[in-house]
Amino acid sequence: MEMEQMNKVVGDEEKERDVKVGMKRKLRYTELYIRWLTLILSLAAAIILGLDTQTKVVPITLVSTLPPINVPVTAKYHYLSAFTYFVVANAIACSYGGVSLILTLANKGRKNGCLAKAIIMLDLIMVAVLASANGAAAAVGYIGHEGNKHVRWNKVCNVFGRFCNQVLAAVGVSLLGSLLFIFLVMLAVLNVQNKH
Amino acid sequence: MASPTSVAAAPAEYEKSLASRGAAMVDVVLRVLLFIGSLTAVVVMVTSKQTELVPVPFPPFGRLPSTATFTDTPAFVYFVAALSTAGLYSIITTLLSISALSKPGYSKTWALYIVAMDVVMLAIVAAASGTAGGVAYIGFRGNSHTRWVKICNIFDKFCQHAAGAILVSMFAAIVLILLLLHSVFTMYRKIPN
Repeated sequence: MEMEQMNKVVGDEEKERDVKVGMKRKLRYTELYIRWLTLILSLAAAIILGLDTQTKVVPITLVSTLPPINVPVTAKYHYLSAFTYFVVANAIACSYGGVSLILTLANKGRKNGCLAKAIIMLDLIMVAVLASANGAAAAVGYIGHEGNKHVRWNKVCNVFGRFCNQVLAAVGVSLLGSLLFIFLVMLAVLNVQNKH
Repeated sequence: MASPTSVAAAPAEYEKSLASRGAAMVDVVLRVLLFIGSLTAVVVMVTSKQTELVPVPFPPFGRLPSTATFTDTPAFVYFVAALSTAGLYSIITTLLSISALSKPGYSKTWALYIVAMDVVMLAIVAAASGTAGGVAYIGFRGNSHTRWVKICNIFDKFCQHAAGAILVSMFAAIVLILLLLHSVFTMYRKIPN
């Protein structure tokens, strides 16, 4: 009777350990998948804005008597510093996503606390950099879309509609990427708490 | 009579409790720094009103008084809102940290919630700093391609206030990063392998 009870207790303990191991494995796969997703999303955002250029022919009336002159005007992403910062930040986030993915894969199982702490620190810095890049691009895009009558900055998006739509798409994709980076930090904290 | 093992174990326990109290103190100090930073940034940005005589570009040509405040740009409005949220958040979490100083226990779920909220706050404050910085840079340099004229040559005090507020918000973001690193490393120490 006692032996049966002891066997049942041992069986329960083994089941609990199996559940814990299963959860740890699921967390590890989730973390790898999310790192891969951040790589893809920040790469997409950098490409969408990096290849964003639009040329439009605008009729400009110099004198009311002469017919309007057709002038081709171009919009490129590097005409605005905020967009340059956005592309650079997303390129950095993409390369960091790749490097951290490879490092995390190579570090499987081994409890190398040093590497894990370095990756958490770099994840936090990436959250900050990506969030600021998103904010800058969104602010400048908003000024381009609405203009600002107090400082007499005219809106640009009535002429360059496709350019502005691509900016909006890039900012949206990068927003998703930065949300994933936030989620990565929380996942790292969960990993630390589930260490035993 | 106390057994030798219990007397030997007492200093180790005392050291561990000292270390955890030290960690809690660092936490409180960092959160107070965050509060000071957010408050300073909000106050400096809100008090940045400046009125100047500006030449009017259309007839009748003359000089009209024009005012620049932080409400002229939605970017600066978001900046003030985000930093105010960070200030309020820092007050609440400072009080929570101070109350955790006296209690000897360490709660895992509380630590996870605080870290999650800290990361979200970091994203909000960093986005505010980037947003205001982007717009302030255009106001400082202008942009020849979009024909946006620079305004900082006229409204110099306004631009100085904005630049100061943005720098202080960057300091607040760094304090948040330090807080998060401190929380995570404390977790590494407290939860043994």
